[in-house]
Amino acid sequence: MVGTTTRRANTRVSSAERKEWLLFALLVGPNLFLFSVFTYWPLLYNGYLSMVRWDFLGPKVWVGLDNFTHLFTQGDFSFVLWNTFVFTVSAVGLICGLGLAVALLLNRSLLWRDGVRAVVFSPVMLSGAAMGIVWLFILDPRYGLLDILLNYVGLESPNWFLDTRWAMAGVIVVHVWKNLGYAVVIILAGLQAIPRELYEAALVDGAGAWGRFRAVTLPGLSPIFFFLFITTMLASFQSFDIIHVMTEGGPVNATTTLIYNLYDEAFKATRAGRAAVSAVVLFLGMFAITLVQMRFSERRVHYA
Amino acid sequence: MENTAKLTQHSPKHSWQSRTAWRKENAAQFVAPISWVGQRRSRVADGLGYAGMLIVLLMIGLPVYWMTTGAFKFDNEIYQLPPTWWPQQPTLQNFADAWTSVPFGNFYINTIVTTFFGSGFEIFFGVTSAYAFVFLRFPKRDWVFLILLAALMIPNQVTVLPNYLTVARVLGWANTYQGIVLPGASVAYGTFLLRQYYMSLPQEIFDAAKVDGADHLRTMWSVVIPLAKPATISFGLLSIVSKWNDYLWPLIITNREEWYVLPIGIRWLTVQEGYISWGPVMAGTVLVVLPVLVIFLYAQKYIVEGIAAGAVKG
Amino acid sequence: MSRNDYRTISRRGLLKAMSAGAGMAALAACAPAPTTTSGNESVAGPASEPVTLLLWSSYTGRNGEAEQALVDKFNEEMGDRDLQVDYQVQGNYEETAQKVTAALQAQDAPDVALLSDVWWFKFYLNQTLAPLNDLLESQNVDVTDYHDPLIEEGLRQGVYWWIPFARSTPLFYYNKELFDAAGLPDRGPETWDEFNQWAPDLVSADGDEPEVAAFVHPDSASYIAWLFQGVAWQFGGAYSNPDFTMRMTEDNTVDAGRFYHDTVHAYGWARPSKSIGEDFLNGFSASMMASTGSMGGLRQNAEFEFGTAFLPEQDYFGCCTGGAGLSILNTTDAEKLPLAMDYIAYVSNPENTVFWSKSTGYMPVRKSAATSAEMTSYYEEFPQFKTAVDQLELTRPQDSARVWVPNGDQIIGKGLERVTVLGEDAATVFADVNDTLIAEAAPVLETLAIVEG
Repeated sequence: MVGTTTRRANTRVSSAERKEWLLFALLVGPNLFLFSVFTYWPLLYNGYLSMVRWDFLGPKVWVGLDNFTHLFTQGDFSFVLWNTFVFTVSAVGLICGLGLAVALLLNRSLLWRDGVRAVVFSPVMLSGAAMGIVWLFILDPRYGLLDILLNYVGLESPNWFLDTRWAMAGVIVVHVWKNLGYAVVIILAGLQAIPRELYEAALVDGAGAWGRFRAVTLPGLSPIFFFLFITTMLASFQSFDIIHVMTEGGPVNATTTLIYNLYDEAFKATRAGRAAVSAVVLFLGMFAITLVQMRFSERRVHYA
Repeated sequence: MENTAKLTQHSPKHSWQSRTAWRKENAAQFVAPISWVGQRRSRVADGLGYAGMLIVLLMIGLPVYWMTTGAFKFDNEIYQLPPTWWPQQPTLQNFADAWTSVPFGNFYINTIVTTFFGSGFEIFFGVTSAYAFVFLRFPKRDWVFLILLAALMIPNQVTVLPNYLTVARVLGWANTYQGIVLPGASVAYGTFLLRQYYMSLPQEIFDAAKVDGADHLRTMWSVVIPLAKPATISFGLLSIVSKWNDYLWPLIITNREEWYVLPIGIRWLTVQEGYISWGPVMAGTVLVVLPVLVIFLYAQKYIVEGIAAGAVKG
Repeated sequence: MSRNDYRTISRRGLLKAMSAGAGMAALAACAPAPTTTSGNESVAGPASEPVTLLLWSSYTGRNGEAEQALVDKFNEEMGDRDLQVDYQVQGNYEETAQKVTAALQAQDAPDVALLSDVWWFKFYLNQTLAPLNDLLESQNVDVTDYHDPLIEEGLRQGVYWWIPFARSTPLFYYNKELFDAAGLPDRGPETWDEFNQWAPDLVSADGDEPEVAAFVHPDSASYIAWLFQGVAWQFGGAYSNPDFTMRMTEDNTVDAGRFYHDTVHAYGWARPSKSIGEDFLNGFSASMMASTGSMGGLRQNAEFEFGTAFLPEQDYFGCCTGGAGLSILNTTDAEKLPLAMDYIAYVSNPENTVFWSKSTGYMPVRKSAATSAEMTSYYEEFPQFKTAVDQLELTRPQDSARVWVPNGDQIIGKGLERVTVLGEDAATVFADVNDTLIAEAAPVLETLAIVEG
């Protein structure tokens, strides 16, 4: 204590600053520490695992890039990449497109609008696993609700999870259903953020509704749409619970996306190396998306 | 009334051009946002709007409705054709069956405990880290912030395999609360959001607090946190919801049913009987989602604002 | 005041950091290294405290109830020996094996595990199982009373590793009501050709989709590769030879695959199903090939009478064994090993074998059980089960490609799904499968050379 007081007399500022450093370290340290243990280090270790052959029981065998060459020369993995692409692109397109339509609808001053907004948003909050199971019940080709409804108009429900194309469509539908509300909320926020004066100005210029939509609404939404695009893409990339409860990646790997393949290789087939390769590819994909986002965000600094 | 007045004001009649413009405007009502000045109403557009809302409501709400009514139906009613839109003989038997065929009590306790601690850590780390990054000096502070932000680029899914090896093998924490909670306890996005918010707070308040002789922890506790209450609540609620619904990590790190959390437990209910008995399963899903729905009903505003904040500010 | 605040809070923060750090120190120091297998975590307590044996298993529904009953009975009888079995169901065979693998990582493995035909070998190969010869001897288990082919499947180089318990074979099940309604005799088809003639009568079409199929194919998760094993043999083909020479591309094997393809895509009397048992029970399928282990559940739940028959022949008769057995993990404490053996011996003793077989439909694994008076009278009461026991004599162990190649079952199964669900040509698919099997078998051969010399 005595020491501190004497030093304080000499370098008062630096001592106070040092105290701040210590406090900073104490406040930020644990957070960063957990990140190093459970995020940064695992990323590196995963890189190592991608170069071994290991069944979780025996010794790890160093195989260099064999796991990569194996997966990229073998048909199954390109199928997985294709599935991931189909799932992501369809999900993002549908979520953004339908999201825009629903947001514009719910931006009108209609009665019960807030109630409908709440309903639209609620699936975002609900467990994907639980909702996937509910949808299994609804999509059951024999006694599911959808089949019943289709029967009213003389149609038959497809056998969703025994047909490779329908199975993919099925998980996409559920993913879109669950995440639509997210897009709606974001777009509604974006609509609210567009200055009214722009509309007034457009009105004065004699622009029609469609003209105003094109001249004011769409450009005004574009930054937020970009954000939405990126976040839904990342979310679709990582979607796991719905696929796991509904199809377990089947039939015949038809719904095996990268993340599901990672799980499947690691925890079902117990092939650590190939699972790690999936993780590497998943990481690189998401890294690329994030980089794109950062580049574009920089160009749009004016918005922030 | 006001709308009509405005309409007549700047659309002179007797001109075919303006008439077309007028028609166009009204026909395109449902693609135009409402919150701008001079909106016109028409019965047709409103009718279409309500029809659209009804369709949206049915598409989004029907599955949840079907789940809820299914939970109260006996098996024979579930398979009955034509279907019943309301349980004819409402029963709680499905809930009892779900509760006894798997340890739902454990699932609840596990989920509550892991959500409490998981979100607790996230909120604590988010608030303290954000405060430090905004109000404390540190050498190369912005670089440290970038290091933290870099974690955003590495989603949990990418690291499940090594983390599984660390937690289960090295630490021996499979089937423990700390094993479920700790790998997800640190927070980057929340830090980022709260930091943005803190930076927007008026500087004078801190100057005043300094004059009063409050040190940093006190300022954080009694000035910043109260001021940032809405943002903190939003972030906290989103954290709670995401922990409650977390699936992949608990799936991997627990392998005994007494340690399952609700989302894993509900799937377990569908696989462990060997076939799916829909009544109890629907009852189980109701049990899983009900607490979140209740939170949502009470705190919808905060949750929605929290999500929107990320977009508008980020 | 403020100083105090500062100190208390920062100490708390520090404590948090430390408590998190304590566990983590180990991690920073060393990367995960292969586990040394020492069961020092669960040392058996002093004699007065009950010893707990951890048993992991896979059965649900009626089979689960029967196994639970066996465990309860054991615990009751062993009460005065202070030995209790903690019985935990871990999901299906795959999930159980995955969880055992995981538990070995976490040094938290069960003492006794139920391992299926396709999994026990992996644990053997990785030297995680306890050898059982000495234990069988010290606990006075009559090895010669076990059905020889079944117990020999768990024998490697003169050492027993895997004791038969829930062993089964595929069996042909048919819905007697639907067969009768179609004017067919009350028996299974003798050949696939015969069934091909019968099947159209069994299919009742409702629009495009046949509402009732004559036959259903399971998916890979429900072991289509196991059920198809016999079919491959019936056509004169095979998955592989015992020395891991793959035979998927042989004409006969491909013919069997093309037959499966045609049942769905040419003749249209069969269809792929997510749950063949459910389809059969609900009358959506007139017949199926399924495990004898489904019999107990079917008998309990079916609202119609069903018959059982030998698998249909083609050029030959072919039927394989399957199911699961019990092994002891070598992480088990030395003093618990005899107790673990006692449990295994107990549930597969003649008396309990009778109970288990009657409840579930699994094969009587003990000769004396199969010929016991109680069993004989059961055969009369429920001849469907007699058929299964008779067929057991004609079965043989599966090809190495399915049971010894890691994931061989799923590799073949997913290939078969491509044939039945996607309608791809069996020749193309099996060529892919063959390549994959060869690649996946290579490490096994290496390891086998090390382990067995």
